[in-house]
Amino acid sequence: MIHRICMASDFFYPNVGGVEEHIFNLSQCLLKRKHRVIILTHCYTNRIGIRYITNGLKVYYLPIKTFYSQCILPSVISSLPLIRYILVRERITIVHGHSAFSTLAHETMMIARLMGLKTIFTDHSLFGFADTSAVITNKCLQLSLSDCNHCICVSHIGKENTVLRAHVNHDRVSVIPNAIDSTIFTPKYDNVFKGEIVIVVVSRLVYRKGIDLLIEIIIELCNKYEFVKFEIGGDGPKRFSLEEAIKKHKLQNRVKLLGRLPHLHVVNVLKRGNIFLNTSLTEAYCMAIVEAASCGLKIVSTRVGGIPEVLPPHLMYLSEPNITDLINRLENAINDFMNGVVISPKECHLIVKNLYTWQNVTARTEKIYNKYLFFNNRKSFAHILNSVLLCITSFFCVVVFDGIVLIFRNTLSPSGNILIAINEGKILICTE
Amino acid sequence: MSEEKIKRKPWKKNLYENEEYPDNYTDISFLEELKKNLYIRNVTFKEACFGAGLVSQEICIVVIFACSFIYLYNEWLDPIDLIIYISMASFGAYCLLFYDNYNFLQTCRTLCCYIICSYLLSPVLKTLTETISTDTIYLTTVFMMIIHLIFFDYGVAALIVSSSLSLNAAIFGAVCLTSRLPTSISVTAFIFITVHCFALAPLFFTKIGFSFFMLILIIIATSTLLYSLSCIMTVFFLISIFFINVICPYLFIKWYSYKDNIYGPWDEAVINIPSNSI
Repeated sequence: MIHRICMASDFFYPNVGGVEEHIFNLSQCLLKRKHRVIILTHCYTNRIGIRYITNGLKVYYLPIKTFYSQCILPSVISSLPLIRYILVRERITIVHGHSAFSTLAHETMMIARLMGLKTIFTDHSLFGFADTSAVITNKCLQLSLSDCNHCICVSHIGKENTVLRAHVNHDRVSVIPNAIDSTIFTPKYDNVFKGEIVIVVVSRLVYRKGIDLLIEIIIELCNKYEFVKFEIGGDGPKRFSLEEAIKKHKLQNRVKLLGRLPHLHVVNVLKRGNIFLNTSLTEAYCMAIVEAASCGLKIVSTRVGGIPEVLPPHLMYLSEPNITDLINRLENAINDFMNGVVISPKECHLIVKNLYTWQNVTARTEKIYNKYLFFNNRKSFAHILNSVLLCITSFFCVVVFDGIVLIFRNTLSPSGNILIAINEGKILICTE
Repeated sequence: MSEEKIKRKPWKKNLYENEEYPDNYTDISFLEELKKNLYIRNVTFKEACFGAGLVSQEICIVVIFACSFIYLYNEWLDPIDLIIYISMASFGAYCLLFYDNYNFLQTCRTLCCYIICSYLLSPVLKTLTETISTDTIYLTTVFMMIIHLIFFDYGVAALIVSSSLSLNAAIFGAVCLTSRLPTSISVTAFIFITVHCFALAPLFFTKIGFSFFMLILIIIATSTLLYSLSCIMTVFFLISIFFINVICPYLFIKWYSYKDNIYGPWDEAVINIPSNSI
């Protein structure tokens, strides 16, 4: 069965991150399975219009301005004609939105639902319930997902979180983890003590990744062990405090800041290291530790969110998110490493390789697509009642207004008049 | 179907086993780690009233301040008498409550300095906002008093609390009003009252501590004063005091049971670091 899928998200190349990785790899695998995939995202400085990337994957960089942390302003009507045009032109059957933070994903899904297309949503993040911003975001998510066909979460914690936040029935939520490309993350030659221990950290340098914890750990470990070195990849607002701490404690030759790394270079950094450290404060599914495990590093991580679900316990040292426990676990890892209690990188790589592959992720996602292809969108009375009750708030007006604009657009430029995109079919060589 | 279920390995909460289960399988352990209302603090009706009492106490002070303006504006009171009575009262309060805390001579010096300054500056204050229309003046004062009430330090560690903003708003409101007063000496008296209401009264009330007896006393005094000016305003005042002191705490207690905070493993970990490194 061939689907015409539209992946919609604010987060895509040239941005880097877990969501971007996920969309790219999923699309590539779907393309290999003869599906037709396009990606909808907003424009980046001079990257506007249609671009073809690897294997002829068509990306629409929509000329919509971003307003807050890489998200477009959800103006509801102004981008509707454009998105509708693309959906009609590409004869899309399934719209797959990614990330709860992406307003473009929600907007596209709403338009798609009004046009009678199937919508799937993948949630990549966890969110608390305590503060005002969480209350608002969760309410928006609830409204957006009330009419979504199916949700996908990347971990079981993520599913619990999404079910609670968006009040979706748990049957409508599947857990499909992320994966990594194990052909890129090949194992290092060996992992033995050669006079020094290199601890690698690859993460955005932001508060949520626990950089404050990291700074304290670096200082304490460098004072304690002469042979420990750090390599830190990634960039972000916390870089400044990290640099300051390094300067203050004169650790310039012990701690190397590598800045923002292209994804392909991450593997080289990982291979230089012996222990991988992750200090995240919240994480739905930590791709970084899977990548590190695939390279055969010892892993020390905080026990937060979905991290305990990701890898078997014998592959990682889990710690509570505080300095003392993290240092204890790191010391355990260092001692084990010095005593040669190490799983050989090749073995490690094989375990990870068998656990997570994009092919597996794609097959499972495809199953959901197939399930909904002939799914009649007519719903039970109870469901409609539930949706209506949810939508009684202002969102109802938004949807109705959107629907009116859509009807208006349909008369103004009928679907029949829209030139259908030719199927390039052949693989196009990316010129960038 | 049931046979099939028995054959399956037990479901585990991880992402790499459970191949026999469908992706949207929901285990019994679903939401097991969900916790509700972890850090809840049960507030009794008395405690709620106590908190509301502090608000109504401050409202009373603002009302007293406004009444004194009307008395001085209409020249129903001799400003010099007023200064003398207030000075006597505050001197008594000082001797009873604050004598140990502050050096007597130094306090006297500051006081003299202050009285002379305010007396000398009162003609300036009187003409400062004279050109502004009366309506604007009253409106500004009302806004400033609202700001004063909102940002006043009622003893709760909230982000919104700012004693300096609160005090400055009140003083600004008073300075606006001074230009409407008839004579310079009445301006001095009014500034005197302002300082007593907004700078010294909070000190006095924190010293003696809050009690319901004191609150009732202030409310009676305020309503008597207000009654001499307007009967309708007194009724409004009493209704609002009743609303703040009885109905609001009651609703607060009643609605507290609707509190439904959710906690779980998805919450962001809270870190507390003694920041010695940076």
